[in-house]
Amino acid sequence: MQARYADGRAAVFADVEISLTPDKLFIRHGERTIDWDYADLARSDDNNGYVVLRQKRKPDTGERLMFGNWYDDELKAVAPHLMKPLAQGVEGRLTVGALVTLAWSLAGAFLIGIPYAAGPMARAMPEKYRTQIADISWTQVNNFTAQCDDADEATQILNDVAYRIMERSSVPERDEIWITIADAGFPNAFALPDNSIIVTDELIGMAEQPDELVGVLAHEIAHIEHNHIMKNVIRQIGAGIFFDVVFGGAGAGQAIAIASVNLAGLRYSRGDESDADSRGMDYLDAAGISTAGIATMFDRFEAYAEEEGAGDIPTILSSHPASRQRAIAARARAREGLAPSMTEREWRIVQQACGGADTLDQEETPQAAPR
Amino acid sequence: MTAEAAPGQSFAHSGKFFNVLGLALKNAGLTLITLTMYRFWARTSMRRRLWSRTWVMGDPLEYTGRAGELFRGFLISLPCFFLPAIFVFYIAPVALEAVWAGWLTFGFYVFSVPLVAAARYWMRRYQLSRTRWRGIKLGLAGSAWSFAAASWGWWVLQLLSLGWYTPAARINRARMMWENTRFGDQPFHFETPPGESPQRRMWWPFAFGWIGTAIGFFASYLSAGILAAVLTTSGMIDAAPNSSIVSAGVFLLGTALTVISYFIAFAPYRAAAMNRIAAQIVLDGARFKLRAKTLSLLFYQSLGWIFLIFSLGLLSPVAGFLQVRYVLNRLELIDTPRFAEIGQSVLADSDAGESLGDAFDLDMGVGVI
Repeated sequence: MQARYADGRAAVFADVEISLTPDKLFIRHGERTIDWDYADLARSDDNNGYVVLRQKRKPDTGERLMFGNWYDDELKAVAPHLMKPLAQGVEGRLTVGALVTLAWSLAGAFLIGIPYAAGPMARAMPEKYRTQIADISWTQVNNFTAQCDDADEATQILNDVAYRIMERSSVPERDEIWITIADAGFPNAFALPDNSIIVTDELIGMAEQPDELVGVLAHEIAHIEHNHIMKNVIRQIGAGIFFDVVFGGAGAGQAIAIASVNLAGLRYSRGDESDADSRGMDYLDAAGISTAGIATMFDRFEAYAEEEGAGDIPTILSSHPASRQRAIAARARAREGLAPSMTEREWRIVQQACGGADTLDQEETPQAAPR
Repeated sequence: MTAEAAPGQSFAHSGKFFNVLGLALKNAGLTLITLTMYRFWARTSMRRRLWSRTWVMGDPLEYTGRAGELFRGFLISLPCFFLPAIFVFYIAPVALEAVWAGWLTFGFYVFSVPLVAAARYWMRRYQLSRTRWRGIKLGLAGSAWSFAAASWGWWVLQLLSLGWYTPAARINRARMMWENTRFGDQPFHFETPPGESPQRRMWWPFAFGWIGTAIGFFASYLSAGILAAVLTTSGMIDAAPNSSIVSAGVFLLGTALTVISYFIAFAPYRAAAMNRIAAQIVLDGARFKLRAKTLSLLFYQSLGWIFLIFSLGLLSPVAGFLQVRYVLNRLELIDTPRFAEIGQSVLADSDAGESLGDAFDLDMGVGVI
């Protein structure tokens, strides 16, 4: 049988005669005869029409034997292991199975384990780090909002109302929470890691009754009480690290990580939103404020989202459940005959914050929120 | 089993499109279900496939790399690269003052420029050390950090010259790579024929690409703007409630057209640079000659990009294969080196796999050939 043999010492192939005996492969190279054990052989080709054999020993000396695949049958008869896919570099099922297990275990650890542990981790996070994340969030807030110079009294009124409802429900953070009114071009309200709550003037303008706005505040306070903000940051950092390490690039994970400490990342899970809805309504109930206000606000958000498109919906709406269901749930809990959460005068002052009440009818009298 | 003919010309690639596509699809599927952890095995099998169908003087190349080596390199890069990266991008913004965290991020990006160049060098070293022809190993000598430092300097010059230093930088990089490349104990040389510029026939194509891209940039955004204006004035789009969508559309269309015009305008330069680099590579007195043509290269590269984009990168090896086959089937060796006098390589093997090359995703699963 004709073949070509390279001795690994020079870049040449020599024509040789080979014989495939049951015990060994013999190579007759001029006067020399070289014998190779089949068990020591591996293939270096990839079905390119030629079989290239080498010895498995290390270091690889570069000795090679090459012959056409028309000797496949003879080779298979004496060394069947060299004809198996594994010998040609195709990995076994065990390898693939191990990789699948490893990958999904990592995914489980980062994408399920870390979110599961996010609560304790958030509680254990040193105050310094929380402040640092809050600073980043504030930098973001300042990029797209302006301070309102005429909102001191309105801010105090909102904080007083918020304190009142927190006191009734014994919210532990009630002395740390501070509400700020910001001038922005969109309606929104969100809580920051330092227990601040930002309410935009457009959101105030969207509400027609004080209970609608107070319902939103109660929802944001619940996010703070249940530490949703920091839990969300930890969840997103876990996902970011996972995507960075597993996918091996420096793109997707970092985008998530950066988002996690930005406002864009302040989007809660569905569970957190439901939790904040429910707890927020507890506050309202305890404080004697009708939940019909927040129900009406959910209706307004839904109409706004339909009008503006999904990209511009308020953060409070950024996650499920759908507004309609939330409105129904809030309306179901609403009690009749309760007094508005603010006096007429207080509500008018709040509406005038950031010059937002210019177009309002000064004679309008606030009513209990519609059911 | 069907024997694939070993081509008689000095270089040839006998890879069949559907054969490579089949392997790429299998690899893509396994890469997906293993959340990309299979990528080291995918790269290895694809290289083995492409190398074994690369024929030089009638004998095939051989890829001896193992997926386990690449995986080990990835594990090595975890503490060397990913832990610092995780600190910079995840921990520092929380644990450090904003100013310090910002400087750290800036420093990380500045350091990444030479690091990418070094990673490219290490990757090439690994791949060459796992490539054999007639049993003789290739290799890459020299220091990756020297290459990284030099690359960084050339990159700065490219920036300062608004890109006009690019042809010189490209030749400089090729020179440094090839002068350190070994076939066995025989070094490659990068020699410019006496009296010729190393960038001969590269400057006019480059100027064409630069000016063409500049014109394309303005023309692209202008066309996108005019299209938007026509659509809004004709009432096909109601601009008032959709102003942000229209602006985003103009931006995206303008950017897409700019990228396409860049790709087309620089096609003559890409062909000229490949031909010029090949012409200066010498092995034991034998020179290389590449006959890349603008239109045919543009066709294969465009086809590759279509695969790349529509498969979201999963079929990038197919794009790599198309280009590799294109080059090898147009590459010639003028004169013949004294192969009988070329002995085995004495360079040490690279043990760290491709480490950072994987982190930076430098070769899209194909390799250096």
